[in-house]
Amino acid sequence: MQFLQFALTRAFMALVTLLTVSLIVFTLMELVPGSCAERYLAFKNTQGSQITIEDIEAEERRLGLDRPFVERWVGWVGNVFIRGEFGDSCILRLDINQLLADKFWISLGICMAALILSYAIAVPIGIISAKSTNAWTNNSLRLVSYLGLALPNFLLALIIMLFSTVMFGDSLTGLFSNEYRDAPWSWEKFQDFLSRAWLPIFILGWSATAFALQTVRALMLDEIGKLYVTAAAARGVTGARLLWRYPARHALGPVINSLGFDLNRIFNELPIVALILTLTEAGALLFESLARSNDQQLAGAIIFLLTASIVLLNFVTDILLAVLDPRVRRGLMG
Amino acid sequence: MTLKRTLTLGVASFTLMAGAAFANCPAVTVADPMGVPPGAFPQQYELSEFQSAANCTLAFAENPAIAELNGRIKGNPDLPPLAERLPEEPLVVAPYDAIGTYGGTLHALSNAPEAGTSDFLSVRHVNLVRYSDDLQTIVPNVAKGWEWNDDYTELTFFLRKGHKWSDGAPFTAADVKFWYDNLALDPNINEKPKDYVTVAGQPMTVETPDETTVVFKLPAPKPGLLTHFATHFGQGFQPKHFLGQFHPAISADADAYAQSLGFDNGYAAIMAYYGNSDWTDTGTPMLNRPDSLDVLPKNAMPTLESHFIISETTEGRRFVANPYFFMVDTAGNQLPYINELDELFANDQEVRLLKLVNGEADYKTQSLQIADAPLLLDGQEKGDYTIQLKPKISMHTVSFNVTSEDEGKRAVFGDLRFRKAMSVAINRQELNDVAYFGLGQIQQYIGFSPAPEFVDPKWLTYATEYDPEGAKAMLDEVGVVDANGDGFRDLPDGRPLVLNLQFATQGIAGQVVELIGQYWKDVGINTTVKEVTPDEYRSAQSSNQLDVGLWEKGQPLGIILGNNELWVPPFENYFAHRVGMKWAEWVDSNGSAGIEPPDYVKSLIADINAFQSTPSGTPEFNEIGARLVQNMTENLLFIGTAITPDPIYRRNAVKNFPEFKTASYEYYRTYPYRAHQWFLSE
Repeated sequence: MQFLQFALTRAFMALVTLLTVSLIVFTLMELVPGSCAERYLAFKNTQGSQITIEDIEAEERRLGLDRPFVERWVGWVGNVFIRGEFGDSCILRLDINQLLADKFWISLGICMAALILSYAIAVPIGIISAKSTNAWTNNSLRLVSYLGLALPNFLLALIIMLFSTVMFGDSLTGLFSNEYRDAPWSWEKFQDFLSRAWLPIFILGWSATAFALQTVRALMLDEIGKLYVTAAAARGVTGARLLWRYPARHALGPVINSLGFDLNRIFNELPIVALILTLTEAGALLFESLARSNDQQLAGAIIFLLTASIVLLNFVTDILLAVLDPRVRRGLMG
Repeated sequence: MTLKRTLTLGVASFTLMAGAAFANCPAVTVADPMGVPPGAFPQQYELSEFQSAANCTLAFAENPAIAELNGRIKGNPDLPPLAERLPEEPLVVAPYDAIGTYGGTLHALSNAPEAGTSDFLSVRHVNLVRYSDDLQTIVPNVAKGWEWNDDYTELTFFLRKGHKWSDGAPFTAADVKFWYDNLALDPNINEKPKDYVTVAGQPMTVETPDETTVVFKLPAPKPGLLTHFATHFGQGFQPKHFLGQFHPAISADADAYAQSLGFDNGYAAIMAYYGNSDWTDTGTPMLNRPDSLDVLPKNAMPTLESHFIISETTEGRRFVANPYFFMVDTAGNQLPYINELDELFANDQEVRLLKLVNGEADYKTQSLQIADAPLLLDGQEKGDYTIQLKPKISMHTVSFNVTSEDEGKRAVFGDLRFRKAMSVAINRQELNDVAYFGLGQIQQYIGFSPAPEFVDPKWLTYATEYDPEGAKAMLDEVGVVDANGDGFRDLPDGRPLVLNLQFATQGIAGQVVELIGQYWKDVGINTTVKEVTPDEYRSAQSSNQLDVGLWEKGQPLGIILGNNELWVPPFENYFAHRVGMKWAEWVDSNGSAGIEPPDYVKSLIADINAFQSTPSGTPEFNEIGARLVQNMTENLLFIGTAITPDPIYRRNAVKNFPEFKTASYEYYRTYPYRAHQWFLSE
């Protein structure tokens, strides 16, 4: 009962967050100069139309741009939440849902894979390295994680591309080889995708791993010297059992909590990497729509989807933590 | 005739069994004519003309994969024999170097679905006529011939009997009339007829005395109409049998039929297939209605081009050879040789360059700039490709928004002294040395390129001297001075003036924009530089949101005679360099909206219409031409830089690829060089 109440409260808070985010995204979309009506009419001008101020106003009415800000926001949010529709991109004049199609899922997949990869490496290695006294292991781990933190992703991508172009004559760009580009999803297409997607996953995963590794290690070092660990050791608990059951359990709480934050960080880095590797996914599309083509509707849709994923992930980790640790439930409910 | 046809059919089927090697006509190429005299037009023959010149009977052969390719075209029935797919009089073309081999996929790079595509569109393009690769002779293409009357008011085209659309339906004179009457002039499709379908602002009439004869009757002489069909992307025909089903003027149940397919009405269906534009890369239903493809009869409208589109997304397009294409080589093989075309969209110039250096595309000219030449030349051997450096026709130009929404800016930009100051502030010599490697020819923009004989040479160098002090003095005169002491000049009303130089690499090179921005800073005008996509540049330009226009510009005389767009506000179409959007509104609305243009602009409009109707070479023609140049140049609506060469990229596997004369759009890119007879040999 208490758990259900906790979950419902959390879900409600997630929804409120999402609505607030949608308001911010929508406001940002509005700040960009030039309305969709003007853009659309500039295109119609190619059809030989005469465009007058009245035409622009009529088009604004048709697109509902003359209505008050709040009303338009409610309309946009309503469409997104109820029908899952983001409307049309006014630069490309195509339905955004169709334009994004699998692209967003591909981006999310790449980010999640990078996230999982980094935690799968960082958690065990971080714990072990905190305990390890072997100078060589510690130093090489430190070197790898400092490189991951210090090497900008775009530079890493460029270095790997250059290396591959010179050595193998393949620039490693794109997400699919030509024959699978427009093919429907199949096992073969997925394999083809993996044969290319490993590179962005690796690049994004490296820096994320480095970050997570240092966090886990620091948290472990904090916990490992605490009295309850010594007490447990005194009771005869040793080795891996001691590590996992005592300091690690406490150290991992904050790590799980930061999953949403890490996803956000990885996604932030995705557009630059995607642009360099010419991945045709949502990150590159986001960069292009924001920086190059001024496509507010499209950028808004991608940012909203991304935030929704982060909010959802946070919700899931909250629930997960609550399941693992009853104090969290009580903490929220007072 | 019937006898000859039966004979040809017989020989064709015999050859099909025996293989093309036994064709008894000499395999004439441009490189080796094998003693066969040239026909009436260079590098090509009509069938009967070739057979009598070579004293042989041509036997036809087809691509062995053609049935499989046809199977990938949705809605196409199984193929009839080749002889029934070719016109009775196919166009016989002499390949440049060798009879090609069938097969392969030609890879191309464009920027986006509607940006940077013309280069690749031209590869499969056909029109009624074509410019030969000398860029001087107009030769038959879809039409097998044409005839002008004496005063250039009646242009007759003769079509090929038995010519078929890509779905096998007959192509006739009715398709030309349909394009003109029911698409070009229908206000539901084109609200205002395009300039190129009118003569002195008046529509023509199209008559079809029989299935293979089309007569354009012009309200005034316009010798440039033929040139128009030779150089323009707009094809003078559209499939009446297909689009007509949706057109209320053609079919009584057009709306009902369209509605049964899920469209709002017939016009909506035409919009989905034809894009309401002669521009041939507007989206097909595969892009704009992907959810309703199952119920639609075809995924794209039939074409006469060499290849037919079979898939389209925001990432790329794919095409297969048109099984009904109307050309054969001199050995009787139906063209095209290349099975498939594959177009990939990459909006980033550096990414495209990387792919080119890596040999990931087969041909590219558009968007390649002289600045890219060192990198491209350097990689030739390793990437197994060849770069030709050829002169351009247009040049990088700059314009100021003389009809800006901001009245303060409009007054400044509209002041000729300001534009002149900005022109002489540019150090063209240094620009040429740095950005063009000294290969450019410094020149002012005069509209015509190259300059015809009637142009006084003084205009070619007008206001191209580097005179920063003079520029500063003129800016002071205009009242553009540093009012707030921040080191940069402000508008006369005291507001700061910052020129935001938005550009796309498709229209102008980044280095050129950076340098120009710096030169203007040197005379006290603050600038910022930002690269955007071509879509964004065009959209912002046509919605009157740019302060400064940056795109290449300039057309040869032959094209100007058929198309007045360079001389009438906004001085070119959506895709190119425009200025004076509000003047255009005034002109289009007959003065009821927009801003009234100054007298010299009105004089440009009157002169270009008179110019097009005046016999070329006459004193009157030269006089009007000289006046056009003076009004255009003296007023610096567009500020020129230098005419430069640009790189042309070809992977060495592409054969029958000649030396291009120019690296330019104006003759519709590859169209004079006959991409239909390119073939791939690894």
